[in-house]
Amino acid sequence: MIESMPVEPSPGAGLRIEGLSRRLGQRTLLAELNLEVGPGECLALLGPSGCGKTTTLRLLAGLDAASAGRILLDGSDITQQSAGERRVAMVFQSYALYPHLSVADNLALGLRIRGMPAKEREGRIAAVLELLQLTELRLRRPAQLSGGQRQRVALARALLRQPRLVLLDEPMSNLDAQLREELRPELRRLLCGGEQPVVYVTHDQQEAMGMADRIAVLRDGALQQVGSARELYARPANRFVAAFLGRPAINLLPATGPRQLGLRPEHLQPVAQGGLAARLLRREWWGNQQLLWLESAQGDLRMLVAADQELPPALQLGWRPEHELWFDSHSGERLPGP
Amino acid sequence: MKSLLLLWSLAPLAWQLYTSLVTPEALVQGGGVEAGAFWTLENYRQVWLADPPIWRYLLNSAVVGAATTALTLTLAVPCAYGLQRQGGRLGWLVTLALLATAIFPTVLLFLALLQLARALGLANNLLALSLPYAALCLPLAVLLLRAAFADLPPDLEDAARLEGLNLPRRLRHVLLPLLAPSLASTAILVFLFSWNEYPIALTWISRPELLTLPPAIARIAGSSLFTVPYGAFAAATVLGSLPLLLLVLIFQRSIVSGLTQGAIKG
Repeated sequence: MIESMPVEPSPGAGLRIEGLSRRLGQRTLLAELNLEVGPGECLALLGPSGCGKTTTLRLLAGLDAASAGRILLDGSDITQQSAGERRVAMVFQSYALYPHLSVADNLALGLRIRGMPAKEREGRIAAVLELLQLTELRLRRPAQLSGGQRQRVALARALLRQPRLVLLDEPMSNLDAQLREELRPELRRLLCGGEQPVVYVTHDQQEAMGMADRIAVLRDGALQQVGSARELYARPANRFVAAFLGRPAINLLPATGPRQLGLRPEHLQPVAQGGLAARLLRREWWGNQQLLWLESAQGDLRMLVAADQELPPALQLGWRPEHELWFDSHSGERLPGP
Repeated sequence: MKSLLLLWSLAPLAWQLYTSLVTPEALVQGGGVEAGAFWTLENYRQVWLADPPIWRYLLNSAVVGAATTALTLTLAVPCAYGLQRQGGRLGWLVTLALLATAIFPTVLLFLALLQLARALGLANNLLALSLPYAALCLPLAVLLLRAAFADLPPDLEDAARLEGLNLPRRLRHVLLPLLAPSLASTAILVFLFSWNEYPIALTWISRPELLTLPPAIARIAGSSLFTVPYGAFAAATVLGSLPLLLLVLIFQRSIVSGLTQGAIKG
């Protein structure tokens, strides 16, 4: 039931968000959001806290009401539908498992409410438990499960409904870093590539880049840019996207007149002569790479080089012209050429 | 320190128990009575065989207590939910008003209540007695349950909404099971109030077979012009306390967890 099948994309299939806004009193939580997520596509909503990504998710789920705009799912307008009518599944950051019910009863509650016959219900639950390797834990209460197991139960509950849209709200932020890395491909295998669009909220750029087909970067309730991780990294729409994506962060040199130059740390390299003079302040050795903190006439700079590269305390820095990212120093928008 | 506190709160009860189990002579003279005439169950026999017997009052009190508890919780749960979830600024005002009525001295109300009972023909009706009781218990019940609702993680209800559970179903399948400790402790507080209430019961009920325990016990004390029947009085008190003791023993764990719930946050 959850295995992906090649489906001809029908016209209007997937999720379409048109001019979606939410205002609370004087505050605008989300302004005029336009987005499309195709069937089986995973879109990450990425941004700092308070940027409107969770607001968007709650609007899509029907948990909060939109102030303006429309949500179209497979061609039909669901903006006015209640959360229960939408057949949208959501995995919460807290997992939101019912603490008084066993794993199996957590899964059964929603199906029972909709009056599904017991036999069909049991079959479906057994299949999902099997898929997520939860069969042995079916009688445990949530309190008796580890964080990773709880997350799998939450996923199972989402998949069980055969949803038309899957929403994930920071589903891995309560897990430790190693488990997160292990789970990423697992999550992709389970959720993406099916028929339903997936919207994945995170503030972790690495997670967004690893999970999603496309990333939408939000800031203060406004969409900054949407595209593949590569596009966003190589051609950020503005200074904010450039600085938000990429660790260590981009070097933004002091503005010269109307323009400002940005250089990624891995694009700086030592040159024999004629470059920007810099002095080595300190280094962080990461095993596979090393991060150098430099002081120059253009301010402090970060440079990422191979781990075994030996560098003198005073050096000249250069970069290739095609790696230059120029921004409007006032508006922050990226300018086309040098 | 603990044992001092125990002594402080248990000594009167122990004295009551002792009084109920000895003969009047033993009570008055202390140790100077011969062994055979010291301990007795005569006091219990007396209240059990009185007309109406003590179990009649116990039953009356139980009926009023159950009705009051049921009525209070039925009204308090939706009210607390509404105030907590969509109260807004008006909700705060309502909560403050509730708090104000909760601290209003009940004794000042009973004359007005008596007039109401007369006007509406509610006197000498056990179930009608639960109306003022529930009204007096509601503020505290709503405040306790409101705090309990505030302690529930909002994600749980959102998850249930997404699964298509409407409000009554969310309450029945998700929220109320999680509130069980708070519901139990609130129910017991309400039941206790109803069980112990004296002035309203005294004024609303005049037929002896309909009396609840507190006025009934008071009647035992005033039943004779010439003696104070300490023994029978104490026996009735002990019998009247037993059901409460049992109730609290059974639910003690949920009472403690329910009462401390709102205290930690919210």
